[in-house]
Order: sequence, then C-alpha cells, then structure tokens
Amino acid sequence: MSKPDFVYVTYIETTPQKLWEALTSSAFTRQYFFNTDIVTDWKVGSKFAYVQNGKTNDEGEILEADPPKRLSYSFHSLMNETSIRETPSRVTFVLEPLGKVVRLTLTHDNFPPESVVLQPISNGWPKILSGLKSLLETGRSI
Amino acid sequence: MSKPEFVYTTYIKTTPEKLWHALTDREFSHKYWMECVLTSDWKVGSRMTMERHGELKNECVILESDPPRKLAYSWRSIFDPDMKKENPSRVTYILEAQGETVKLTVTHEGFVESSKTLPSISTGWPMVLASLKSILETGKPLVIDPATLASTETAHVKA
Repeated sequence: MSKPDFVYVTYIETTPQKLWEALTSSAFTRQYFFNTDIVTDWKVGSKFAYVQNGKTNDEGEILEADPPKRLSYSFHSLMNETSIRETPSRVTFVLEPLGKVVRLTLTHDNFPPESVVLQPISNGWPKILSGLKSLLETGRSI
Repeated sequence: MSKPEFVYTTYIKTTPEKLWHALTDREFSHKYWMECVLTSDWKVGSRMTMERHGELKNECVILESDPPRKLAYSWRSIFDPDMKKENPSRVTYILEAQGETVKLTVTHEGFVESSKTLPSISTGWPMVLASLKSILETGKPLVIDPATLASTETAHVKA
C-alpha cells in the first residue's frame, strides 16, 4: 500500500529558531516563496493561507505547531477547478538540530489517487526550499 | 506504478561549469562529499572509486560524460556484503542553467525490490547535495556530525 506523496530532506547551516521564523513569517516567505505571504496566527485549528499579490493560491488549517520542532497544516490548492474539488492534502515540516546544521524534512502527503496537485508541488517545493536554504546561509534567496 | 528509485532536485547559484568541476574534481569534491575521495578520469568506460578514510565504499563505472550538461555512472556499494551482491544501480546528473542558477537533478535508479542500497543512498544524497550547494554559494561546506554521516551506512536497519 504505497501512497503517492512527496518527501524532501535538506540540511541548512542555521538554528531551529531561525528556520522556524523563516518558515512562518511573511517577511521571509516573500523572499524565497515566489513573493508569497503566509497568513495565519499559527494556532492549531486556525485558518491558513498562502497569498501572492493579493490572490489566495492555497488555504488550509493548522494541524500542529510545536516551535521550533514541528509544523503541520492541511493544504487545499485553489490553482484550478479540479484542484479546488480535490480533498486537502497535508504538509508537515520537521526540524532537527544536528550540531551546526538543522535537518529539515518536508513531507507532503494525503493526496487522493490521480491528484492534480502532487505534480505541481513536487516541482515547486525543491525550488522553494533551495531558496530558503540560500536565504538563511547567504542572506539572499536565489 | 512507482519504481524503486531516488530523485532529488536542487537549485544552486553557480554556473554549469563550476558545478561540473565540483562534481568531478578530486580535491574539490573531498571538501563537501562526506569525507569521500572520488577518483576517475571521467571518460566513458572508466572506473570511478569512492573511498572514505582509505576504505573503498562505492565502485562506479562512467556511463555518460557530457560536460557540463550530463553525467552518469553505475554504482555498487561494497561496504556491506548484501549491498555488494546487488546488481549495480545507476546515477544520472542533469545540469540545466536557469538565469543565475543551475537546476541540478540527480536520479539514482535501477534498484532491486527490497534493495539495501536504496535506503542508504536516500539518506546520503540530501547531505551531499546540501553541502554541495553550501560550498558553491558560501565557499564553505556543511559541517555534518560523524554520527549523522555514519547513519547513511546503517539506514537499511531502521527502514
């Protein structure tokens, strides 16, 4: 029973606290996440939205928020009519300090069979997380 | 139809030429590649060895070499007796210039079902490629602690 999902691991020279802030603050996400704001109060059960140039691209609900270790939210893509009809998937970030670096594991799962969202997010996350790593290590995204 | 394989994409602020050099130069790769030494003349058909602390870990043969765009080699892990018995797998690097960055896609495929090599390389590649991106963008590789490095050789135990 293998389910379609997306997992990406990267290692960043930073602290869990700085990485948490970069994941949860619009001042950071605007710099590495395609100029996207992240709108939520990060309380479990609260609504959540990725807003780009005034348009909400994705929305969901905070499922877990345990700073600076673990963050999870449901993810409902509004990119087209098919994705709007699709059941929400789930995004989970796990942050683990390992000496001078932090291991960041992103799991995006709970996709229905024949999901139209899985392919776009599989292309998008590596670019976003590459930009996040550059921003934290060099002060500039890519 | 999911195949047993590993695919990883990263975007690095560099040029395809510098990235090719980083992937194939013995001295440069030693700085970021988990204390490994890669030795080859990088010609198709030539052998490439990966040694750590003088011990041969992986044996490879160059299958494609098209600098600075595409590199492929076979891969056999020999530090574990079960892995050593598996047929060689295949690693392919695709380098694509995109403005000021290079998109690097690493595909490692050709594993048998229940391969012991697959969990090992799935643990190792994110470390190697994260450190590669760091050294090219900041001049310094990542400092990854010995226990985490060693976890690549025992990844199949917990998997």
